[in-house]
Amino acid sequence: MIGQTLDHYRVLAQIGEGGMGVVYRARDEVLNRDVALKLLAHGALEKVSSGHLLREAQTASSLSHPNICTIHQVGKTGNDFYVVMELIEGRSLCDLITAMGLSMEIVTRYGTQIADALAHAHDRGIVHRDLKGSNVMVTPEGRVKVLDFGLATRLDRDEISQLTLSYTSLESKLVGTLPYMAPEVLRGQKGDHLSDLWSLGVLLYEAAAGKLPFRGNTGFEVTSAILREPPPALPSTVPYGLAAVIQRCLIKERADRYQRASEVREALEAVQGAVLQSRHPSEKTRGPRTLVLRGMEHLSVKNGDVLLLVGTNKGAFFLRSSRDRSRWDVAGPYFHGQGIYAMAYDGRSDRHRLWVSANNVMWGAFLRSSDDFGRIWTNPLEASIRFPTESGASLRNIWQICLGRNDEPEKLYCGVEPAALFESGDEGESWSMVHGLYDHPHRPRWMPSNGGLILHTILPDPCNKDRMYVAVSAGGVYRTEDRGTTWQARNNGVRVMFLPEKYPEFGQCVHKIVLHESRPERLFLQNHWGLYRSDNRGDSWQDIARGVPSDFGFAMLMHPHNADCVYIVPVESDEFRCTPEGQLRVYRTRNAGGSWEALDRGLPQKGAYETILRDAMSSDSLDPAGIYFGTRSGTVYGSRDEGKSWKKIVERLPQILCVKAAVVHMDGAPTAKPNLKSKIPKRRKTARTKRVRRGTSG
Amino acid sequence: MQVLFNIPGPLREFTGNQSAVRVEVEAGANLLQVLQALFVVYPGLRHRVLAETGETRRHVNIFVANENVRYTGGLATAIPAGAEVSIVPAISGG
Repeated sequence: MIGQTLDHYRVLAQIGEGGMGVVYRARDEVLNRDVALKLLAHGALEKVSSGHLLREAQTASSLSHPNICTIHQVGKTGNDFYVVMELIEGRSLCDLITAMGLSMEIVTRYGTQIADALAHAHDRGIVHRDLKGSNVMVTPEGRVKVLDFGLATRLDRDEISQLTLSYTSLESKLVGTLPYMAPEVLRGQKGDHLSDLWSLGVLLYEAAAGKLPFRGNTGFEVTSAILREPPPALPSTVPYGLAAVIQRCLIKERADRYQRASEVREALEAVQGAVLQSRHPSEKTRGPRTLVLRGMEHLSVKNGDVLLLVGTNKGAFFLRSSRDRSRWDVAGPYFHGQGIYAMAYDGRSDRHRLWVSANNVMWGAFLRSSDDFGRIWTNPLEASIRFPTESGASLRNIWQICLGRNDEPEKLYCGVEPAALFESGDEGESWSMVHGLYDHPHRPRWMPSNGGLILHTILPDPCNKDRMYVAVSAGGVYRTEDRGTTWQARNNGVRVMFLPEKYPEFGQCVHKIVLHESRPERLFLQNHWGLYRSDNRGDSWQDIARGVPSDFGFAMLMHPHNADCVYIVPVESDEFRCTPEGQLRVYRTRNAGGSWEALDRGLPQKGAYETILRDAMSSDSLDPAGIYFGTRSGTVYGSRDEGKSWKKIVERLPQILCVKAAVVHMDGAPTAKPNLKSKIPKRRKTARTKRVRRGTSG
Repeated sequence: MQVLFNIPGPLREFTGNQSAVRVEVEAGANLLQVLQALFVVYPGLRHRVLAETGETRRHVNIFVANENVRYTGGLATAIPAGAEVSIVPAISGG
């Protein structure tokens, strides 16, 4: 044929061969353009009358659509029937599909175009009947062109039965067609627009999965799979929406399939939108990674300042003072309306980072952090602390944020409700649950206390990286000696008032435990009834409640420099839970629990029925140490002489849930924490806004 | 089909400040499926509407038209074409 001329088309070269015949590149001598010329095989003409084929081709030539290969002319010369088409430079889809399939974005993009081409043809009464990868071309620009509309031969029953029985010996033109054929076509029905949609489903499946949905070694096996087998599950990388579209195309019952190609196109467009946006979510829809708080007064913090973080059930308040601790600036509320159960100031490794656990009763508990004392906050799209799906648990609250050891500045821990320990080894970017504790056989028998089943205290041993203590209400104290792989209950000697067995292995409602880094083997414990000390890392506990008005209480604080000095605020009972006799008194021991003294100078001693919650007492690291606590009635008291006398720092706040104090070190100033290794900060991060100054009273 | 979501004020920082957003889903989708389509486009909503267990948060209500889905099959509630889905914080607090 090469070099011959048909009508005004000069045949230049053969470019393909398919079931319908041979395809040549040809030159249109009249319009001076290259075209594709398909010379139909004689066999094709044997099945149908040439007149019928001519009419179908003429009808197909009326299609004008960007995704349909345009037919310029159909004609006959002698015995040769030919079709002149748009010449498409590109590759067929079957050549592009690899064993891994195509990307989901490509599958939906190509699929949308093919469905649109089918919709256009079906609306004009033209059915393809032989849609498959080799009939779909993709141009270098990524445009899909569907070939051979209306040119497929119609198979009769005999041919189908032959196809089924002798797959391997069939002519090549039919081998490529069988896996795409709809069940009704295999049963001998005439292919129609619904069988085109089936073929589209097969093609999309193949493009997404990299393999055909209905496979077999023989025609019989393939036919059997098409007629009877459900398509195998698509790989998990195929998004739900796309898998659903493919599945619906491949429903054997015609009535349950999509009924129109336009429906497939619309479904694919929706999936395409989601796939695209999930790959490249815009900043607008993702939401900000950070939240900038404008229009409120922030603290202006200088080197050496003392910082007080006050968490309430309606938001966080931040206070600062110079080292003399006589006047305090107040900023807040931050996280308006949210419960702030835990906070921490992380000054390790040149950071000045505030950590806040913000619990929104509607939308959940999220960890937030700020590196500039509250102007800009991280605003995580996803909750960073989440229970693993297989646990069946969901996060109720974050009760404790604990910094890792000073020489592990990337480490952070969180204690949460329901009781579990989470750890981060990358400055709080990502978190994982400590399975060793969550999988402990005791855990199913821990009982929720009044506040829920919570892990509220985390004490890394400052000298031994393998050892850590946690306290759970109501589960008791647990210790690990192998970095969290295994945990042992450590409650021997701690009494339980609410169980028939008074000294069980576990189940104690421990409210707080503390230790001093200079004597890490010694622990102090405020129990739900009971004050205890352990001198052997929690192996056994002894009662130290001598000379206190009540051994019930929540908060317990270790003096920053004196390992024998511990502070508590006793409350009357588990029924009343207020300071005894209407007197607000802090108690202190300076001999490791040998005796306790009341510290009440400056505190109300009449009609003061107050409650100080377990995390609402803190100390700074100065000498003499500042001691601070907040009441459920919203007042923060402070002492700059280690508790000898107290002053009201701020009052009429919402219910105070936690108080944390810290000294801020910047620009290479000496650290005040005696054992903290000196670090030279690189950047100044002082803020420059107007201060809200509130004088202290009392 | 399209589904219109009404977004409550506190969550609009995750929808580019839009109070209502439209999401395309295939016809016949249920509430969980349309929510998943919503979360693909607006990922900040996912953990604020659903807990890790995949259930709706305790104090979040979802309405399809005027019906609280707690009484119509929860997340399996069928979503008709053109439906309006509202995410509404429950009346709670303290």
